[in-house]
Parts: sequence; C-alpha cells; structure tokens
Amino acid sequence: MSWIPFKIGQPKKQIIPKTVERDFEREYGKLQQLEEQTKRLQKDMKKSTDADLAMSKSAVKISLDLLSNPLCEQDPDFLSMVTALDTAMKRMDAFNQEKVNQIQKTVIEPLKKFGSVFPSLSMAVKRREQALQDYRRLQAKVEKHKEKEKTGPVLAKLHQAREELRPVRDDFEAKNRQLLDEMPRFYGSRLDYFQPSFEALIRAQVRPVCATSPPAPWRQARLWMHLTHRWRTTRKCTRSSGT
Amino acid sequence: MADHRAEEPSSRSGSPDEEGRVSEDRSLLHQRLAVRELIDTEISYLHTLQLCASDIRNHLQQLPQGDLDILFSNIDDIIKVNSRFLHGLQETASKEEEQVYLIGNLFLEFQEEFEHVYKVYCANYDQALLLVDAYRKEPALQREIQRIIEAVVPQAGPSGLSFLLVIPLQRITKYPLLLQKILENTLPDAGAYPVLQRATFALQDVNANINEYKIRKEVASKYSKVEQLTLRERLARINTHTLSKKTTRLSQLLKQEAGLVPKTEDKEFDDLEERFQWVSVCVTELKNDLAAYLDNLEVFLRFRPHECNLDIPGGPVVQYCNLARDLQLKAFLEFKQRLEALVWQPLCSLAKVLVGPQNLIKKRLDKLLDFERVEEKLLEVGSVTYEEEAARHTYQALNSLLVAELPKFNQLVMQWLGQVLRTFVALQRDLAEQVLQRAEGSMTQLPHQHIPEPDFRKLVENSLGQTSKQLRSFRENFEKVLPPPTTQPLLPGSERQVQALWSRYGPGKLYQVTNNISGAGSLDLTLPRGQIVALLQNKDTKGNSGRWLVDTGGHRGYVPAGKLQPYRVVPSEEERRGQVGPHEDSRHLTPEPTPTCSVPTVTQVVAAYPFLARSSQEVSLQAGQPVTLLEAQDKKGNPEWSLVEVNGQRGYVPSSFLARAPSPAPWGWSLTS
Repeated sequence: MSWIPFKIGQPKKQIIPKTVERDFEREYGKLQQLEEQTKRLQKDMKKSTDADLAMSKSAVKISLDLLSNPLCEQDPDFLSMVTALDTAMKRMDAFNQEKVNQIQKTVIEPLKKFGSVFPSLSMAVKRREQALQDYRRLQAKVEKHKEKEKTGPVLAKLHQAREELRPVRDDFEAKNRQLLDEMPRFYGSRLDYFQPSFEALIRAQVRPVCATSPPAPWRQARLWMHLTHRWRTTRKCTRSSGT
Repeated sequence: MADHRAEEPSSRSGSPDEEGRVSEDRSLLHQRLAVRELIDTEISYLHTLQLCASDIRNHLQQLPQGDLDILFSNIDDIIKVNSRFLHGLQETASKEEEQVYLIGNLFLEFQEEFEHVYKVYCANYDQALLLVDAYRKEPALQREIQRIIEAVVPQAGPSGLSFLLVIPLQRITKYPLLLQKILENTLPDAGAYPVLQRATFALQDVNANINEYKIRKEVASKYSKVEQLTLRERLARINTHTLSKKTTRLSQLLKQEAGLVPKTEDKEFDDLEERFQWVSVCVTELKNDLAAYLDNLEVFLRFRPHECNLDIPGGPVVQYCNLARDLQLKAFLEFKQRLEALVWQPLCSLAKVLVGPQNLIKKRLDKLLDFERVEEKLLEVGSVTYEEEAARHTYQALNSLLVAELPKFNQLVMQWLGQVLRTFVALQRDLAEQVLQRAEGSMTQLPHQHIPEPDFRKLVENSLGQTSKQLRSFRENFEKVLPPPTTQPLLPGSERQVQALWSRYGPGKLYQVTNNISGAGSLDLTLPRGQIVALLQNKDTKGNSGRWLVDTGGHRGYVPAGKLQPYRVVPSEEERRGQVGPHEDSRHLTPEPTPTCSVPTVTQVVAAYPFLARSSQEVSLQAGQPVTLLEAQDKKGNPEWSLVEVNGQRGYVPSSFLARAPSPAPWGWSLTS
C-alpha cells in the first residue's frame, strides 16, 4: 500500500546490531558530556579571572582616590601611608595580571582548542547518521526487489540495487568503525591534554612566570608586613606628637 | 572665740581707733564665720553626695544602667575632686593666720578641675531632669524611689530625686557667693585680699564657662539631629516665621555675593571647615570604593570553576579542584567576612558620625547670616530686639563650639580612617598568606614540583604543542569521515548531455544532483537524482547563496545548493569506429583536442538485460554482467548504441541495455539465464 505515507507497525529493520548502536551511543554520550563540561569550565574560568582582575583594579582605585585627596598635601604622615598603600595595591594588581595571563595561556586557550574539535565530531556523527539512513533506504529497496518474482528486468534491478547498496554500506561501516575507534581515543586524550594545564594553574597561584622574582603571594605577604610595620611606627609618632 | 572681744564696746569710750578696732573685730568675726560656713557646708555637701552616689544609686536597681548613668552622670568624679578640696580646706584650718590666704590659693588651684568636672554634670542635668519627670509619671516607680530616698536622706522631702540631683549645681554657684562674703569681711590691705579677689573672679569665670558650655551643648544637640522628614512634613513646617527667616537670610547672602555687604571672613574657621570637608570626602570615597571592591569579591566568589573536573580522576586536576574549593569556601569566605566586620562596618559608622558636624556647619552659616544682619542693625539703630539678640547669641555659641571641637574631631576621624586602612591591609596580608600556604601544600603533591618555573613552562608548552597536534589530527580524522558519496550512477543516455554541458561551461561548473529535487517555485527545477547540471550562478537574485541557478542542458532554473555536489566528468575516449577486437591503438587513449579531466577511468557498467549479438559488430551480453563501456555512441554518433568490451570482446550493444555502476569493484555474481 504505497499510498500510506508512513509505515505504521513496521519495526525498523535492525540492520546494525544493537550492541554496536549501544556502544556508539555510549561513547558519543560521554563525549557530549565532556564537551559541555569543557565549555562550562572555559566560561567559568574566564569569568573567574575577570572577577579577580576587577577586584584588584578596585583595590587600586581605593588607593588612587585616597592619593588624590588634598589631605595628602597637608598631612605628611597621611601622605606616606597612602603612598605605601598605593604601591602595594599596584603591585598586587600587576601580580594578578601576570597570573591571569598565565592562566589564559595554559588553561583557557587549551580548553578552547579542545572544544574546537567537537563541531567536527558532531558533523562526522551527522554524516554517519546520514549514511545510516541511506544504508537503510537502499537495504529496503534491495529487500523489496528480492521479494518480487524473479524476472529478467527485476533481477537486473535487484542487481543494480545491490550495486548501489554495497558502496553505501561500506561507507557506513567505515564511518561507524572510524568513529568507534576515534571517539574513545579522543575521550582518553583529555587526560594527557589537561594534566599540565591544571598543574600550571596550581603553580600560577604560587609563582609567577618570571623566574627571577620571588613567588607572588610571598611577595604580597612580605609587602603587607612591611606596610603594617611602617604604619605602626607612624601611628606611634602621631600618638606621641599629641592628640 | 573672739566673741568676748566684740562684747566690750561699753567699757571703752568712742575713740576712733577703738571703733575701728571694733568693726575690724566684727569683720574678722564675720570672716571667720564665713570660713566656718564654707567648711561646714562643704562637709555636709560631700556627705550628701556620697549618700547619693553609693546608697541611693545602689538601691535603684530596677532602673536600667543607662538611665542611672544619665541621672548621676559624673558624680563620682565630683566626689573625688571635692574630697580633695575638703582635705585641703581642713588643712588650712590649722593655720589660723594665713587661713584665708590659703583658702584663696586653694580655690585658684582647683579652679580648672572644678570647671572641668562640673561642666559635664551641668550640661547633663537637663537630660537627668527629663528622666526624673518620666519617672514621676509612673506612680509605682515613683513611690519606690521615694521610699528609698526617704530611708537614706530624710530631708529630701517629696521632691526626692530632683532635690538631690540639683545639689552639685547649687554648690558650684555658691562658691563665688561664699568667697564674696569672705572678701567683704577682709580688710583691703590684708595680704590675703588680692588672692581672695582673684579667687572670687576665678570662680565667677568658672560659672560663666560652665554656662557657655551648657549653651553650646544645647545648640549642638538641637541642630545636629538628622531629621528624616517626608516632603509633606517639610511643607507643613513652612510658616510665615520660617519663610521670613529664610528670605532674610537669602537676601543677606545675595548682598554679600554682590559685594554690597562685607562678608565676615573667619580664616580660622574656614581652614577648619575645609579640612573637615576633605576628611569627609575621603571617608565617603573610601566607603564607595570599598563597596565596589566588596561587590567584585562577591562576583568572584560566585563562580566555581572547581566544580567540573572533566571526569578526570586523580592527578593535578583533582588536586586543583580541591585547592580551589578550599580557597573558595574557606580562605576567601573568611576574608570576606572579616572584611565586612572589621573594615566595612567601622567605615559605615564613621560615615554616619560625619553627618552631625555637617549639619552644624550648615546651620552655622545660616546663623552667621542672621548674625551679620543683626550686627548691621546694631550699627544702624543701636539696639536690637530680644529675638535678634538670641540669634546673635546662637551664632556665637555655634561658632565657638565648632571652632573648639572641630580640630579634635578631624584628628579623631583621621585616626579612625588610618586604623581602617591598616586593618584592610592586614586582612589582605592574611589572605595572601593563606593562599600561599594552601597552594604550596597542594604543589608538593604535583609531579613536577621540583622543576623550576621556566623549565616547567617549557615543559607545558611542549606538551601542549604535542597535544594540539594530536587534536588537529583528531579533527582532520573527523572531517575525513566523509569520503564523498561516490559519483552516482548517471541516468542512462545522459552522457551526451553531460558532454554538451561540459564543453559549454567547462569541467569546474558541473554538478551532480545527490538527492531528488522537487522544485516549488516557478523558477525551481525538479530534478531526479544523478542528473548533471552546470552552474550558472551560485546565488539567486535576492543574494541567497543557498539557491543556485543551473542549466540542465535544456532548462534553466534554481535548485537548492545543498543537493548538488561537484561532478567530475569522465573523459570520453574518442570513439573507436569499427574497431572491434584487440588492436594496439585501441588500447591507447588518443589525446583529446579538448582538455580532459585527469581521471582516465573507463566506466564500468553493468548489463541490465541479456543481449544476443546479431552481427559481428555487436557483442553478446548476459544480464548482470559487467562490461567496460568504451563509447556511448556508435560511429555515426547514434547514442542508442554503445561500444563496450566484454570478456575481451568488443562490440556494440544497445545503450538502454546498460546500467551504470559506480565502483569498479569486481563481483562475481552471475545469474543463470
């Protein structure tokens, strides 16, 4: 009944075994999840580093505004205090900038590169799907011809259909196999790919890029200690100089 | 003591010396009496004070501590000062002759302390009175208070608390009077006279200063309150009085600006005010900046990159996640909390504190305008009304208050500010230390921790380079998962068409239809799969590059670009005319005059139907047999016959008996005919 536009009740012929399909779904599913995680991580990293920079910039603004206050001209103690604060804030900002650059290079860019593979993957999966459809269609045609009575033209048509089917089936098999091969390998490659990135991320918290300078938070800590010491002595001076 | 001397006037006759001596004795007597009075009253005063402070206050337990503080304010200080004073007084009692002199000196000594201690009490007294009135309204409480007071100080009577609380005020105002009395009864040429005089003036000054201080405090409390009024309330407050006040002020201000009236320049005050303004600007800016900083911190804390671990168990990734989580949830959170409590809150309180003085300064300016106007009037008229005098006085009070207290205030604010900044720095330091500690702890677990930084960087770069190559290869692989669906079987008999298109448009423009196209619009073509078309334009008139204008050899129209794929023409060999059988030449491809594609494949076709050769020029076919198509037309150019080779034999067969097959894959299926 060819006028029925869709086939009700006819099960989709399983031309590929269920296990293969299941394997494929599983691998592809894992990769899809990985893609989502990569994207999210990239976005979050970017936002986190942006926020970090914003924080240190606002700290610099604090000291800048203080410096611009006319009190600094009048009160030398205040001026020295605020100048020290300003230097410290600017240095902290510089460290943060270095750290963020480092993170950009070692984490965010690799993430981007990793993520750029996914579109090709999904294209490939789509093509496999297309090939599968073609395969199914031609297989159905072959079956159809098989069922008819065997006359010359029919046989010729059958033969022709089989001829058409063969390359498509091979194509599909090839695609399927290739993807089934590559996907797990791609999935596994993330281990090697990301280990150094994250290691670098941890190190960035401690040491900036330049080897000659001491590590960032250590420098920060020393700077702050300097500052508080200076201010304590200044305060003693102001105290002793009278209320 | 010296009474009997005064009782002797009858025994003498009226000699001036004696009279003088008598009056002298009398004044001396009075003096002594006055001194005695001073000392005695001092004793009883102190006693009452001590009763108040200890017994009564301790018994009034049901009142909250804050109330007690207001009621009794600095009574303890007063008791201390006055006990010392009494002690000094009692010491002078032993030195008969110089007593008065010593008393004078004592007063001068204690002048400042009295002022200092009593002015606080007096300024607070009004508030204490208000509280007492409030208590009076509660009968039960009132009865209780009365009971306590009567038990301790019976002579307090029904006025109770207020009677007791006013005693210090009475005392400090009594001192000048007592001194005056002593002074009156001292001979002007006595050694003690100048001292006493000075003491009297001093105590009068004390009183005047206490008064002044009290007025200032009142003025300050009146104007420094921040009133949150709605617009309606503000409007309701406008009446003729306020309007007139404001208009006179405005006119005064305008006159000043226009130069008609000299502006009172108070350099000292202006400097103070300027500094105050800078300080308050400093505080406000700091507050705003810190608010921005806290906002950014908030945003920073919102993102948790450590939550997705890319499904990588173990290794640096997990360590990083742990570290980041630690930092986020502990170190930074703690930092934020401390920042809020130790830096933000004090800063906010500081900002609030600045509001009062701001108001006072504003008010002072208003009052200054009033004052100037009054001064003017004074010059012109010579006298002023009571209200004007009051306005003058208010201004002076405000001014002196501000001048006296602003410097200290400014300094305190600066100290406070300094403290806030230092705390901020200390917090940053603590945070940095924490980050360092945790990160270093984490680093010890990393595989490459012993490698110095620049080497590590190179390592990372190398590994990233390698893996990116790997990624690229993955990508290429994925993209390669597309051997182009091989050239579809051409529709039979269309090769001539293809040739025509090819010769007309060139090889690059030929496309094959991959799927059946059904045209919708009037200009769209309906094409079956496998049809070859030539591309005329790769976009339609509207610029849509998904629709291409193509030529099918017969018709022209639009087709969707997605269903076309480039077609590579198989070069047709020159027709071998009449050459059947293996000839050497026929095996060679003669070069075509027109350039050919580089693909020299000869099509493999399949015989669709069996065919029996009827002449030597024809060759027999079996259905399904693979044949090699050499020419798609016979020597006369008739497309109905094709030159094929089969089983080593060449011959013509009807073209319609042939079906195209794409791949040259050998297959050995044969059908028994």
